[in-house]
Amino acid sequence: MDINRAKIAGSICVLLVTGCVPAVPPDLIAAIDAIDHDLISIGAPQAAPEEYAYFTRQWVSLKARVQADDDLIRWPWESNEIEKELRRLHSEGGTTVARLNDRQAAQRRTAESTLTRLEARFLSIASHVQSINGRVALGEKPVQTDLLLKQARSFLEQRDYARSIQVAEQASQALRIQTTALIRELGRYADDQQVGHWQAMVKQTVDWSRAHQSTAIVVSKADRELIVYKGGRKVLSYPVRLGFNGIREKRFQGDGATPEGRYRVTEARGAGQTQFYRALVLDYPNAEDRRRFRLAKQSGKIASAKDIGGQIEIHGVENELMAQTLGCVMLANPHMAELFARVSSGTPVTIVGALTGRNSIALALAELAGRTDET
Amino acid sequence: MVQIRQLLVPIALTTLIAAGCTKPPSEKIEAAEQAVKAAQQSGAGTYTAEEYAKLEGTLDALKKEVSEQDGKFALFRDYGKVEQLAASTAAEGQRVRTEVAKKKEEAKAGALQAQQVAQEAVASTLKLVARAPVGKDRAAVEGIKNDAEALKASLNQVQLAIDKEDYPAAQTQAKAINDKSRAVSDEIESALAKIGKGKSSPSRKK
Repeated sequence: MDINRAKIAGSICVLLVTGCVPAVPPDLIAAIDAIDHDLISIGAPQAAPEEYAYFTRQWVSLKARVQADDDLIRWPWESNEIEKELRRLHSEGGTTVARLNDRQAAQRRTAESTLTRLEARFLSIASHVQSINGRVALGEKPVQTDLLLKQARSFLEQRDYARSIQVAEQASQALRIQTTALIRELGRYADDQQVGHWQAMVKQTVDWSRAHQSTAIVVSKADRELIVYKGGRKVLSYPVRLGFNGIREKRFQGDGATPEGRYRVTEARGAGQTQFYRALVLDYPNAEDRRRFRLAKQSGKIASAKDIGGQIEIHGVENELMAQTLGCVMLANPHMAELFARVSSGTPVTIVGALTGRNSIALALAELAGRTDET
Repeated sequence: MVQIRQLLVPIALTTLIAAGCTKPPSEKIEAAEQAVKAAQQSGAGTYTAEEYAKLEGTLDALKKEVSEQDGKFALFRDYGKVEQLAASTAAEGQRVRTEVAKKKEEAKAGALQAQQVAQEAVASTLKLVARAPVGKDRAAVEGIKNDAEALKASLNQVQLAIDKEDYPAAQTQAKAINDKSRAVSDEIESALAKIGKGKSSPSRKK
């Protein structure tokens, strides 16, 4: 009988000891800690501060409770509120990690695709601008845009996607401004009235050549072409290089623009008389140029200290590697030799922006304008 | 019996008075709140975001504990844990502030170094532009002069970001300027090589 009692008592003791479990399974704590680390490693504190703060508040509070109840044990049939809450936090934390991972991946994709698209757009604009020789017309804008794109790329590499997108948006805005400025600056190449005026100037020159059975020269800035007419017929044409700011309208000395107007050769400089192989000096500024310059000064469009400039020539090349002039029209030396042989003092030279409405600059601008929305 | 009653009454009164006097440690709680606020103002949300979140979590746990104790019958209130949490929050707040100051200094040093590198690169680019010959040969570099000027102007943006303590922006801007400046310098070198460094023509009207 005593033995039986002892057995029963022993069994109860064993049950009591083995039935007791810790208040919170240690692996659950470790699992939530791991979720906390995951959240930190994906940058949740910076990228999703509210969600991370929500998780942390509960985690800190529960951890404090776990520490306070550290020595407690419970019976298996007892309800364990802390464990329930920890399991809930574990589940919520896991969902948050997955959600933030997805969000971050989406943000990275957005940042990457936005930036890649803008970089391609920037290069395309730069290439168009280069092709129409309009770099100087844009001033400092291309560099500002380029710097923003580079900055956005740096943020992307640092995995700061939100900031990368933010700076890319500024770059996009800068690209729009750049395109608008270019269209405003060079819009006259696409302006029917202006092109009509240029065509009328060319017609007068060709008519003069026909009437006098003489040589006349027409230069198209958009096509970068010099055309020689004889008796009203086109007899020759040569590619030319213009001023570094050649496609713009000449406004004052040193602006690098090539003037537009009806001129005459005032002097033909042969070998030894010019540093540029051969040169045909034009009568820029003529009366019309002076009138325009005076008006621009009076209206404040040109600073009063500016000079009108001069010494505009059609000349050969001093250095073959030079791509641009300071405003003159430059031909390759063999072409210049041919031209020089056909031209004398008094030959009319008409310089226009373009010969037709479908000129290279108008086409480039139309393409840029059509793609402005893409930015 | 009367003697016992006479003895119990003062004991009960003393206990009640003592229990009634159990109040939350307001000053310590306020100090903890101030510590969190100071950490936040020092930039903890930016520089030590995870530690700041934990600090806020501790303050939240502290507040919960206060309201839990406040909800109990006066005799059973115990603000011991509140005191403990308040003390650890205040200490942690101070530690986070120190950490923020350290990280801020590191970020500032990084930004200043990047700024200096960018300034040197731009100065070198401007020097190259100045070396370009005058007169007809100048045309080759005129087109890139604007770029050099734009780079010079953009250095102000770096300084503005530093002044605003936005060091990540300052550093990325400075890096962009440095990269672009080097590219522009290469372009000028190439243009100068084409036209011949020593050769210059007299300045003429154009």
